[in-house]
Amino acid sequence: MSLVVSHLSKTFGEKRAVDDLSFTMEKPGVFGLIGTNGAGKTTTIRMILGIMPADSGEAKWNDTIISRETLPFGYMPEERGIYMKNKVMEQLIYFGVLHGMNKTDAQNSAKQLLGRLEVSEYADMPAEKLSKGNQQKIQLIATLIHDPELIFLDEPFSGLDPVNAKQLSEVLSELVDRKKYIVMSSHQMSTVEEYCEDILILDRGQTKLQGNLRQIKSEYGHTNLIVSCKEDILPLAQNCGLQLIEKRANETEFHITGDEMAQSFLKVLVEKGYPLTKYEIKEPSLNEIFIDKVGNPDA
Amino acid sequence: MKQIRTVFLFTLKDAARKKAFKISTAFMAILVLILCALPRLISSGETDTSSPAQSGTESEYVAPDTEQTALCYYIDADNLIPNGRLALTQAMPDTKFVASDAESLEGLKQKVADNADTSIIVVENGENAPNLTFITKDFRSGISSTTATEALSKAYIETTLQSQGIDGQTVEFARSTLPMQAEYAGPSDFSGYLIGILLTILVFFAIYYYGYGVAMSVATEKTSRVMETLIVCAKPRNILLGKVLAMGVLGLLQFVGVLLFGVICYQLLVPDNFTMMGMELSFAAFTPASAILVVLYFILGYSLYAVLNAVCGATVSKIEDLNSAMMPVMLVAIISFYISYISAIATPGGGLEKAAMYIPLTSPFIMPFKLLNGDVAAADIAISLVLLLAAIAVVCMISIKIYSASVLHYGKRLKIKDALKK
Repeated sequence: MSLVVSHLSKTFGEKRAVDDLSFTMEKPGVFGLIGTNGAGKTTTIRMILGIMPADSGEAKWNDTIISRETLPFGYMPEERGIYMKNKVMEQLIYFGVLHGMNKTDAQNSAKQLLGRLEVSEYADMPAEKLSKGNQQKIQLIATLIHDPELIFLDEPFSGLDPVNAKQLSEVLSELVDRKKYIVMSSHQMSTVEEYCEDILILDRGQTKLQGNLRQIKSEYGHTNLIVSCKEDILPLAQNCGLQLIEKRANETEFHITGDEMAQSFLKVLVEKGYPLTKYEIKEPSLNEIFIDKVGNPDA
Repeated sequence: MKQIRTVFLFTLKDAARKKAFKISTAFMAILVLILCALPRLISSGETDTSSPAQSGTESEYVAPDTEQTALCYYIDADNLIPNGRLALTQAMPDTKFVASDAESLEGLKQKVADNADTSIIVVENGENAPNLTFITKDFRSGISSTTATEALSKAYIETTLQSQGIDGQTVEFARSTLPMQAEYAGPSDFSGYLIGILLTILVFFAIYYYGYGVAMSVATEKTSRVMETLIVCAKPRNILLGKVLAMGVLGLLQFVGVLLFGVICYQLLVPDNFTMMGMELSFAAFTPASAILVVLYFILGYSLYAVLNAVCGATVSKIEDLNSAMMPVMLVAIISFYISYISAIATPGGGLEKAAMYIPLTSPFIMPFKLLNGDVAAADIAISLVLLLAAIAVVCMISIKIYSASVLHYGKRLKIKDALKK
């Protein structure tokens, strides 16, 4: 099974929303579509799903153009939308039947997922009586009710409290274990870093970077050094050419040019007899890579 | 088809549970009940005024035991119609006729000006016969001059003939009026006319009300972002058709339900010989064929406008914009309704009427009236239906395209030409 997206483009008026976007997903897992707000993530997903026509390009699942008729995919939109006045179970069955299930199967699947996400007690309540987090769980159940092979989650973690976020993480892990193909769009780098093996960074419709996250990081090399020490190491670090990234309560992070710089700084600290509790040489975070490629979104 | 059926059942169930539907059904049922109960209430307050004319002198006559609510001063200074006051009392038993003289006329006029239930009849010498003058507060108040003139004329003829020695049988013959009944060579009758008007108005309100329901349902799904979830499960075409069908069936069920309730109320509450403006009401105009065609025009008319309204609902991003988005369609519906009403009811038989029968936007309003009044040729019905069906097909195709482009468009309202380009 594979998802192949080739040369997708879309223009709204004068604005190029997505420009010649391509990527491939050849094994199960989570693919991260990253970008700031308005980068073109949602438009990309809608074009892949065939609910918005692309100006050019195509998206295929197992060599077949994707559409609601050819593939029962799952899609959780960024803007959550469920029927507020209708009972939870009633609308889940409705969505399930629209996905091609029979009523009994839809009901059984809904029951199972409600139980898994610990919201069974709300089955016969109108959605408007649920908290936002629980409404989001219902939205996720509506996405997964027909057990799709290909799943699109548009900003799935936004607005979730830590408890619900953990529960969603567990569900994601289970889906990956069950060999599902998941495309997740997000602008929360830590989330993507945690789940995605492959990523694509979008900036105003342009693909800025794509590939295997581990490989991308390794290409950047060891660029960061985290040191935890009771003594004031900043003057020594500056003398050795290290650039301060951030000073936190218990540790300090520096930018280094490579492993040699880290080794020579370690030697200086040992010679001085500074007691070290942490000395970690690491690759840049996805957030740093993103800023490097796109610029600071908050700037 | 499965998707259309699923959307249809969900929408139908959802809309039937809404308070607005329950309240509107109860409101219409109460209205029907009141309308059917009115004739009985009115007739129970009426007294039979068709007692046979009596002849005799004023002193012999005893007025029926009727509450006299109106007052009329009768001035016949020269006693030109000796039995005049008696004849008036017989013809209008609810009016008290008081004899007065010409000197009091100015004072009486002031009383009439102050009280709408008071009138004056002045009998004076004319060229060949007495001249009658009726004085009332205004043209809407006072006694019926037609009834009073008829009664006084008969009394005058009777007195004149008797004074010339004509026998009683001849006098009675001279007083008589010829029996008459109205018959119409055409198929149109009063009941068909009345029910036709009522049905035209009902069809308009049904199309307006249920069309609004469709637009609201679509707009609510879009603005609450349910459409984002829905659109990946079902084709926009299936969503649109399922919704339009559901609201249509719901409307038809409510419509037929209220009509059936109306028939039951009519049977139970309306008196057997109830007449309106002297004419009996009947449902003879409702032949099986006309009833089927009326329902068909309702369904097709509703479908045409509902699809247009659904598109209006799909173009808005905020629910408060819905009314302004629906305005063009509503204006078209209102203008079409008035064209139908004016051409068929107010000025029948013209070219405008023919055009209204064929134009798909107006035919659902005019055809029920024409069908119930029986003056429509089979060829006209066929042409009208074919044009209406063709219009629905074209409007559906365009609407589905606009709807598909609009449902995922948020922000500034999408222009129709932009939606068609998408």
